[in-house]
Amino acid sequence: MAVPILKQGGYLFVAIQDELTDAGWRDLRTDLLERAGKHRSRGVLIDVSTMEVMDSFASRMLDGIARMLRFRGAETVVSGLQPEVAFAMAQLGLSLPNTGTALDTDDGFAELRRRTGTVVNAH
Amino acid sequence: MRDMGLTAQNIEHRKTIVGLGPDDSKRIGQLGEVVQTNVERLTATFFDHLAGLDEARVLFGNSELLKRARVLKGAHLSEMVRGEYGPQYVEQRLKLAMLYTQVGLDAHVFLGAFRHLLEAIGACVMKNSEKDPMEGFENFMSLQKVAYFDIAIIVDTLVFERERIIRQQQEAIRELSTPVLQIRDQLLIIPVIGLVDTYRARLLTEGLLNAIRERRAKGVVMDITGVPVVDSKVANHLAQACEAARLMGALVVLTGISSEIALTLVTIGAQLRGIRTVGDLQGGIEEIERSLGGKARAPSRGDSYEGDPSRGS
Amino acid sequence: MPTEAPISIKHDADILAARRAAREMAARLGFSSTDLALIATAISEIARNILVYAGRGEITLEEVSEPPRRGIVVIARDSGPGIADIEQAMQDGYSSGHGLGLGLPGARRLMDDFSIESNVPQGTTIVMKKWAR
Repeated sequence: MAVPILKQGGYLFVAIQDELTDAGWRDLRTDLLERAGKHRSRGVLIDVSTMEVMDSFASRMLDGIARMLRFRGAETVVSGLQPEVAFAMAQLGLSLPNTGTALDTDDGFAELRRRTGTVVNAH
Repeated sequence: MRDMGLTAQNIEHRKTIVGLGPDDSKRIGQLGEVVQTNVERLTATFFDHLAGLDEARVLFGNSELLKRARVLKGAHLSEMVRGEYGPQYVEQRLKLAMLYTQVGLDAHVFLGAFRHLLEAIGACVMKNSEKDPMEGFENFMSLQKVAYFDIAIIVDTLVFERERIIRQQQEAIRELSTPVLQIRDQLLIIPVIGLVDTYRARLLTEGLLNAIRERRAKGVVMDITGVPVVDSKVANHLAQACEAARLMGALVVLTGISSEIALTLVTIGAQLRGIRTVGDLQGGIEEIERSLGGKARAPSRGDSYEGDPSRGS
Repeated sequence: MPTEAPISIKHDADILAARRAAREMAARLGFSSTDLALIATAISEIARNILVYAGRGEITLEEVSEPPRRGIVVIARDSGPGIADIEQAMQDGYSSGHGLGLGLPGARRLMDDFSIESNVPQGTTIVMKKWAR
């Protein structure tokens, strides 16, 4: 089951549920790269507020997706990491060096705007 | 009962420890009649002894609890000579023990009264065994094993409850010692005071992250002037807290690192990578405000942008 | 000591199943939400380790009681190829930034007790515990 990717102005938005399998991650990566290229998106917001676990695999995937999107000219922001998940990630030494972070989707879009530096008109 | 580890297995083990076996149950059964006949008098002996003690003041001041205690005690005496000492018996003991904790009855006070009770039971038994004193004595010795079994449970319960309350109080104290102050929208100050061990570091981090979520903070000044020892372990905890906060979209600036601590950290090669440190609190606040200046929360209506003179349609 | 049936780890979907089962058991035992995340994450690391290095294995979850503490025990087993140098494997690979270190040192950091036995080619057994505060 593919994760739906929404277009919001010049940005893409996706909300990841907890239970992504490996194949699910790979599909998401492919889809995002494709859509970002197709729409020449300036930024991608990935909301993870329902994820209960972010292990080393998931954080590598996420950071990897962000790096690839940057090659396509899009910045990535991850929003909605829950306190317990952030705590576990920090204990494991996991970080997301290639993404911006935000508390929720409102802040996430604001952070994208800040990072992409220009006004993006809603289509 | 489960919290205390009083499983069926554990109960059997406790019986083994006091040497309570099926032969004892048989002998105790012989005492059934004499104890039952005297149950009211014996119960009275227990409470009369307590009545004279200052430590039992609370119990005797509460007529509801006292009544309940008398009923439970009478029931206990009957149960004690029935010969069945399984989970149900233990559950009844626990009820009485919880009542004692409710009225603050200490173990040594309870033990005193219990001894008096046993003495009275012993006297009853011997008086009733004039025909065969040896048998009466042996029966009573078996009953003593149950007495020890009971005492162990009651005392363990009293201790368990006491420790549980202490743990709760300790937690409350720890939580109080890490206040979170909101000085304006999106900006928090957390003054850390006292030693930061692993457990406290975790409380601190949890508090920090929850505060970020609840107050929607984007900047936090964590002042560690009040932390007497900052070694590489503490530095590590702080670094993790900062990183976790960043993952939630908030910037943490550490302030209050004295030059001595700075020297120590450098000397032991501690990695403060990724942490922003500033000398004092004021400086920390200014640093955050400067960073937040570019990240102020956007109004929710329409598009907004910082520093861009051109406006969209 | 309530034990549930071992969870077979053969596909990546099994990692999710193991996480879910552990979270349920830990929630029943009264672990805090932070601890739930730590336990589930540790299991995720160990389970993926099994998949990546052994191909298959199993994870067993147990409740344990040492009054007044209660806790969860996780036993992860696989049948090979085993770890030749455990000490090296247990060293922190994460801070090096390569990101491909075995999940073991990470899981150890998240749990209270951690022990590992491994030989080539028999396989590896990991036992890790966490206690509810």
